[in-house]
Amino acid sequence: MTYFLLFFSAAIVNNFVLSYFLGICPFVGVSKKISSAVSMGMAVTFVMLISAVVTWLIYHMILVPFHVEILEYVSFILVIASLVQLVEMFIRKVSKPLYDTLGIYLPLITTNCAILGLALFSVLREYAFLESVVFALGAGAGFTLALVIMAGIREELALAPVPRHFQGAGITMIVAGALALAFMGFAGMI
Amino acid sequence: MKNLSLSTRMILVLTLITIMSGAILAGWDLYTKPKVEYHREQALQAAIADVLPPYDHYDVLNTEQGYLYVGKEKDSTASVGLAFMAIGSGFQGEVRIMVGYDPDKRQLTGIKVLEQIETPGLGTKIVTDPSNKNDPLWWSAQFEGVAVEPEIVVIKNAKPVNDYEIQGITGATISSKAVVRIINDRLDVVQDLINQAGGHK
Amino acid sequence: MAKPVSLKAEFVKGLWNENPVMASLLGLCPTLAVTNAAVNGLAMGLATTFVLLTSTLMISTMRNLVPHQVRIAGYIVIIATFVTVADRFLAAFFPEISATLGPYIPLIVVNCLILGRQEAFSSRNPVGRSLVDSLGMGLGFIMVLIVLGSIREILGSGSIFGVTVLGDWFSPWMVMILPPGAFLTLGILIALVNWINSRRIAA
Repeated sequence: MTYFLLFFSAAIVNNFVLSYFLGICPFVGVSKKISSAVSMGMAVTFVMLISAVVTWLIYHMILVPFHVEILEYVSFILVIASLVQLVEMFIRKVSKPLYDTLGIYLPLITTNCAILGLALFSVLREYAFLESVVFALGAGAGFTLALVIMAGIREELALAPVPRHFQGAGITMIVAGALALAFMGFAGMI
Repeated sequence: MKNLSLSTRMILVLTLITIMSGAILAGWDLYTKPKVEYHREQALQAAIADVLPPYDHYDVLNTEQGYLYVGKEKDSTASVGLAFMAIGSGFQGEVRIMVGYDPDKRQLTGIKVLEQIETPGLGTKIVTDPSNKNDPLWWSAQFEGVAVEPEIVVIKNAKPVNDYEIQGITGATISSKAVVRIINDRLDVVQDLINQAGGHK
Repeated sequence: MAKPVSLKAEFVKGLWNENPVMASLLGLCPTLAVTNAAVNGLAMGLATTFVLLTSTLMISTMRNLVPHQVRIAGYIVIIATFVTVADRFLAAFFPEISATLGPYIPLIVVNCLILGRQEAFSSRNPVGRSLVDSLGMGLGFIMVLIVLGSIREILGSGSIFGVTVLGDWFSPWMVMILPPGAFLTLGILIALVNWINSRRIAA
């Protein structure tokens, strides 16, 4: 039950994109078409899951026992950057169709704050191993959800008469604000 | 350097960068760690002062179940109450609360939420509620004098009637209930400790 | 370089024409997350500028040394190092700000603004010029954070830099200090900047 709450909280109530502002860059950049939003979401969730596992192990098996918590940020970002590279190479080797769908998004993921944010939040909240895995899944699902909803709205928006100065980033932010408002409604639910 | 092979250069440069980074961080860690810990200690003392009635000094008891801080009068025998840290998970993540407890009257003398990451604007009202301008701390202030028996209870959408009741926060029921649950759980442990020690000190 | 650009031009471009947030939409995560009060925006802006300047100093000094293939790895180690320095500095000297900004300080590591400047400028320009460019970008970033933070604080809490400016008659718009307020304010601000730019071109 707590795992369910944790998942639900990370995916919906405290959506990574809409209430923590993590992963805004791809949210603005890659959310023009639903199909690319789904691919990006999958790629991010995948990397999140792996990096949550690896950063948890590094923090609790190496940094804490050796009292070098000061290396947290340096080691986390190095791990994430190398993981993204590894995942890219692995996918290219194993599945060509998968690489064609996810490939171009992978390099963007290194500087996606959602991945590092996830690792930092897990440490800060002192999650146990399984909790951080569930947290990663929830955060990934939430990221994908926000991206897909946004892409759906933007596909419609392409046909709408948006005021000239709001075109592009302006209207995207306004729509995101409306979405964030809608998602806040979930907070009272529990 | 230019006439070295590419891979040698790559390894050399990355090693150099890593060594520099390590040196900077090691030095900075030595310099800042005591300061960070000093602030943590200050925050702890301030929190204890916040939740206990006025005291002259406090004794630190290191028990198997964590630290207890016993506020003492000037003559050093009579205690004004004891403070302890209660930690548990709220809606979003860990919540740390300093709790003041009067074992004689079996009521709390105050609480202070030290760390939380609840939903901004809703769950964070367990610390301060900016919508209540006259008394932003109204929620945690309710705990002063609340009875701990049978146990502290959160009630929704109503004013408390009994002395063991706390009014919940609209829109943040989980956060309010979590704080009370964390306190109740910890109180059980602390009360056991007191009983084992043969009544209160 | 194709044509020489004056140092002043390198500095000024970050303030408006190539403003990292308004023109390039970089560093949006901290821009939105910490601007619920002006002072938070200022602290975040200063921390980011510190990291930007120190990493620029290092990276442009070493620019002819670092092989192309490992530059990104080198950059992120350097950036992460200075972010840790900034994070510890706040924790040691400004514990309250450090607690408020929480994980958003370490997230400076992945602020595209910093890596972007290293990749686009510091890795191919002399130290002095790179520092001027970074200073301009940093100030442009701080400016946006303060403007955004002030608007949200005034409307959301009736105060600015913690000083109450709107009296009791004003009932704060809670939504402004909550996440939706961040998106709405930035959206309107971007439209405003577009409007001003289009007027400048027309004039």
